[in-house]
Amino acid sequence: MQRIGIVLILITVTVLSAGFLAIRPTSLTAHAAGGADDALAIIVNQSNPVDNCSFEELRKIFLGEKSHWPNGRRITILMLDPQQPERKLVLRDIYGMNEKDLNNHFIQGVFTGSVLASPKTLASAAEVRKFVFNVPGAIGYVRNTELDSSVKALRIDGRLPDDKEYLLRLQTRPKP
Amino acid sequence: MLISVVSNTTIRNANKPAARRILINASAATFLFAIVLSSTLVSAQTASDSDKEMIRTLLRRVEQLETRVAQLEADRQRAPLLVSASAPAPVPDPAPVLEARQDPPKQEPPIQEPPSPMEQRMDTKTLMQIRGFGDTTFHGSDQKGTHTSFSLGQLNLFVTSDISEKFRLLSEIVFEADPTNTFGVDVERLLLQYSHNDYFNLAVGRYHTAIGFYNTAYHHSAWLQTAVGRPFLFQFEDNGGILPIHNVGVSASGLIPSGRLGLHYVAEVGNGRASSSPSAEAVQNVVDENNGKAVNLALFARPDAVRGLQLGFSFYHDGLQPIGQPHIGEEIFAAHAVMQRPNFEWLNEGMIIRHAPQGQSHVFDTPGFYTQISKAFGIYRPYFRYQYVNEADDEPVFPQVGLQYGPSVGVRMDASESVALKLQYDHTAFRHQPSVNGLSLQFAFTF
Repeated sequence: MQRIGIVLILITVTVLSAGFLAIRPTSLTAHAAGGADDALAIIVNQSNPVDNCSFEELRKIFLGEKSHWPNGRRITILMLDPQQPERKLVLRDIYGMNEKDLNNHFIQGVFTGSVLASPKTLASAAEVRKFVFNVPGAIGYVRNTELDSSVKALRIDGRLPDDKEYLLRLQTRPKP
Repeated sequence: MLISVVSNTTIRNANKPAARRILINASAATFLFAIVLSSTLVSAQTASDSDKEMIRTLLRRVEQLETRVAQLEADRQRAPLLVSASAPAPVPDPAPVLEARQDPPKQEPPIQEPPSPMEQRMDTKTLMQIRGFGDTTFHGSDQKGTHTSFSLGQLNLFVTSDISEKFRLLSEIVFEADPTNTFGVDVERLLLQYSHNDYFNLAVGRYHTAIGFYNTAYHHSAWLQTAVGRPFLFQFEDNGGILPIHNVGVSASGLIPSGRLGLHYVAEVGNGRASSSPSAEAVQNVVDENNGKAVNLALFARPDAVRGLQLGFSFYHDGLQPIGQPHIGEEIFAAHAVMQRPNFEWLNEGMIIRHAPQGQSHVFDTPGFYTQISKAFGIYRPYFRYQYVNEADDEPVFPQVGLQYGPSVGVRMDASESVALKLQYDHTAFRHQPSVNGLSLQFAFTF
């Protein structure tokens, strides 16, 4: 009876350890790779003269408070459909608003004339890339893994999505 | 020969790339057929003079077809560049920024289908957009001679249209019933806007004068306002208001390069308000009663350091000419400090309206202010407003306003993203009349 108990305990410990070891390397790998893969790239047209902007400037652009690029082109803001994680990140980190507040912000902004146009909503990263590719003043976002050279990734505060210090990440940043 | 002629004509008329490809293949087949035919003819060595002539003709034709095929191939390669001439040119090479990355190279860029002309138009321009606002209020008060009533508010159709990348039309068309229960239509705003960049925007037409904050923040939408109504100071002209809320003229606005201070300017020149007769339409839409123009200058700051904060002031000047009275100089000094965040707002505005009749030493100053604070708790937003305006009894332009002051307390419930219910209690004191207590229940919506 004792043997059976010891065997069961050993089996349990072995299974748990194996499970732990099996999971741990995966999570470490994911974490290590997460530095680049979970980043959200802010993309603009290749012809856009802007390569870098501060986070505050980015916020103003997405809020519609800044409506023109330095070359005079009108800014067209692109958002993904609601409920997509990328949109949630943009709402949380750039806008600091929920969906309702965002809606109210643009209704009031367009109504008062302080905002030229509400964001255009697209369904997928491919559509965002295509729109940015075709419209010189467009700005949108895609996951870093969905980035290609048809568009240009903006540096935010001097950092590209591959940089460790890059701010816009889909995973919750660890608290210091 | 006949086949070649037909093919050539058809190629010239072909527009679609697929059809063009088929025709190119047909031309190539014709070309091969011609070679085979000519080889056969040459190898026969029994050709007569007429045959030799035919060979020469065919060879010329082959050369022509070769030239034509080369031309079509070149056209086909050039076609995508022509389509994207007005759109961004596709850049196959990675940009310098992307080259600097240490990542393994990303996947090849997908082949972008050039957008159709309609797609391009829809991408950059929107023809016309309409948003509506409306409200209905049930209200009553203890003021003698009044009755509890359901009142239809304003039905506001807000229409915008991007005419081009730089030009835009904005209009606000309001259907509203007056105290005689008769409906009327007003074009409250009609502006052609030119947007050069963030620093210079120009608008011409009928606009809301940029006096203070409230007038250009809420316009004719009850749904956007937290409270049931506008403060005394910002009542519309046809509702007993004392400010030139609307104006017809030209307005310039934009950012002032000021870094994190976020300075903005507004400069307006317009007809000003009518003053010849109290019964005259207050807004001079078509004809100005004098050559003098109303001027308004406003400056405000939205500092980066405090999100939602706006501090500003404005100065308005006009000349009024009431019949039977001397010319009156009108000046309005306004200042505001506003904090507006999604869940919190604190609006504070004060102003002095100065009327200076020509040839008199007496100047009439009308001070006024309001403060309004609200905080959202989920769908509920309780609010409080206190307002004050004090006009002298012998004020030459608006003698009926007098002294009015008092608090308003209410709660707004956002029943959905587009519908709000507001319940508000008002207590208003007057100089020569008893105070009035009022209760209002408003349904405000946007659609």
